[in-house]
Amino acid sequence: MVQAHGITKTYNKGSGAAVHALRDVSLEIRPGEFVAIMGASGSGKTTLMNILGCLDKPSSGQLLLDGQEVSRMDDQALAKVRNQKIGFVFQSFNLMPRANALENVELPLIYSDKADITRLSRQALESVGLKDRIHHLPSELSGGQQQRVAIARAIVNQPEIIFADEPTGNLDTRSSYEIIALFQQLNQQGKTVVLVTHEPDIAEYAKRIIKISDGRIIGDQANASPKNAELALGKLTREEVRHDSK
Amino acid sequence: MTASRTISTALKCLRRYRLRSFLMMIGIVVGIAALTMVVSAGMGSQKRVMDRVKKFGLQSIMVWAGSERMARPGGGIPVNTLKLEDAEAIGKEIPGVASVAPMGRKSGVEVKYQDRTITTNIWGASPSWVQAWDWGVSEGDFIDDEDMTGLNRVCILGTTVYKALFDSLANPVGERIMIGSVPFEVKGVMQSKGASPRGGDMDNRIFVPLSTFMKRVDNVDYVSAVKVLLNNSGDIDKTVEQVRALLRNRHQLGAGQPEDFTIVTPTEIAQVAKKVAGTFNILLIIVSGIALIAGGVVIANLMLLSVNERRREIGLRMAVGASSGDIQRQFLAEAVVITLIGGLFGLLVGALGIGMMRQFSKMPLVLSWVSVLIGMGFSGVVGIVAGYQPAKRAARVQPVEALRG
Repeated sequence: MVQAHGITKTYNKGSGAAVHALRDVSLEIRPGEFVAIMGASGSGKTTLMNILGCLDKPSSGQLLLDGQEVSRMDDQALAKVRNQKIGFVFQSFNLMPRANALENVELPLIYSDKADITRLSRQALESVGLKDRIHHLPSELSGGQQQRVAIARAIVNQPEIIFADEPTGNLDTRSSYEIIALFQQLNQQGKTVVLVTHEPDIAEYAKRIIKISDGRIIGDQANASPKNAELALGKLTREEVRHDSK
Repeated sequence: MTASRTISTALKCLRRYRLRSFLMMIGIVVGIAALTMVVSAGMGSQKRVMDRVKKFGLQSIMVWAGSERMARPGGGIPVNTLKLEDAEAIGKEIPGVASVAPMGRKSGVEVKYQDRTITTNIWGASPSWVQAWDWGVSEGDFIDDEDMTGLNRVCILGTTVYKALFDSLANPVGERIMIGSVPFEVKGVMQSKGASPRGGDMDNRIFVPLSTFMKRVDNVDYVSAVKVLLNNSGDIDKTVEQVRALLRNRHQLGAGQPEDFTIVTPTEIAQVAKKVAGTFNILLIIVSGIALIAGGVVIANLMLLSVNERRREIGLRMAVGASSGDIQRQFLAEAVVITLIGGLFGLLVGALGIGMMRQFSKMPLVLSWVSVLIGMGFSGVVGIVAGYQPAKRAARVQPVEALRG
């Protein structure tokens, strides 16, 4: 459960000119939701995600995570919250280039109290379908596979909520569908998913779409009939087969 | 985050950047290797000093003829100020004296046995020599009172002389050798004593009765030196003053007149030797210290580069749950781990170097736990100092900025 009340974020850019990235944003995300935050670049959607994900602090306003006030927490407490309650997926994957898939997935566990790091990481990689790529370096994997490693890393510590910032931005159509399907699958398993994107097509797969522009929420509505990425993937496969047989 | 996880994370990261880790290590390896060798050489020379002092005897003093300026013991102009009677007076009048051994010396004397000729040093000694120097014969007999009163032409060979004149298994006792133009009968062979406190070969000598030496070899009425053995080492300073007063009186030196003799104590010998070794050591320690500092600077530089290059990784670690403290500790651990590994290799290289130096020089080298402790201690300190600033910088990374784009 995420509750944001009157969040603002202001950057001071040199010469005293203040940039208002977020202005008085309030929203609530309930457990099990699949939310798309949509907006053009520079709209403040990534800033919002960073603040909701406790990576950044708001200039003012209140943020509650499971009823806990996090906007005033110190660095160490925030790190713990990020470690235990939140998983991140980024547009550029952000894998450590010299570490193999397994070591990349292990990373959040290193900062937790959990033992048996390797077994948990293997399980996470298996659950995203990369059982046979465990010892590959990121450079030996396709973009889609790299993003799946990143998703395994995001879920390995069993967080309640996953934030994904343009996760399909660097991927081709097929890989994009695969990744979205994975998020839908995780959502069905009960995880809260917050997807940040500028593509309306991608937002269609979420159950709820929040539109943001110029640092303000300009729309927030449920998506009555979210698209199904598995179906889209099947359709794409059929088209490819038809194309090949021509 | 537990310490063991911090260290294993640091090790993993160092392995991922092998070349950089290797470059970081080199400076420390060189520095610690140098330091190890210097420390062991220093301890070796200290050991040598102590060995020499022990050889000289901890409870004895030496009275040399001439002031320190007039004659360096071991050569130079013969000084005729110290008489046999002075030695006798010391034995009679100074309390606590166990033994007095006057001696005369002549160097560069030609010695012949059959067809073999060598040049060696002739020492005139009295029977008290054995007690005063704790040094006697390994074969035959030493000079006795009869030899002294009878001005007997007998001699005791140092082992170096013995080996040079006789075949290895031959028994020289009873043989006749020519010292200068005077025939002497070999009465015994000395125990081997090795190097003297000043580095000379103490076995390259022939001992003859002091009386014979004064009348027949050197034809003098003075002695070169007197060794005085005390009953115990506690009163050594007091005894030195008593001997000084006695000799000044006997030599009729008024107040303010310089002394025509020199008294040497074991402490002084140790001090001189230590001073020489000390300056040498300090220089070497400075040099290896500079090598270590240079190694530390290299590490600090490469760590700073590493932090800049790995900003994204740092941001990521923070995003998945690392606090800035965790990051700071990880980078500090990387620096310390690399210096400790470098330190270990340095010790290894140093030990190898010591092994090689032992082959080429007679210098005693001591590799001890002290060297290991000093080496590892210094490595750790260099790691902490060099890693501190980079680690602080890593901890200040803002994840949002580091992960952007």
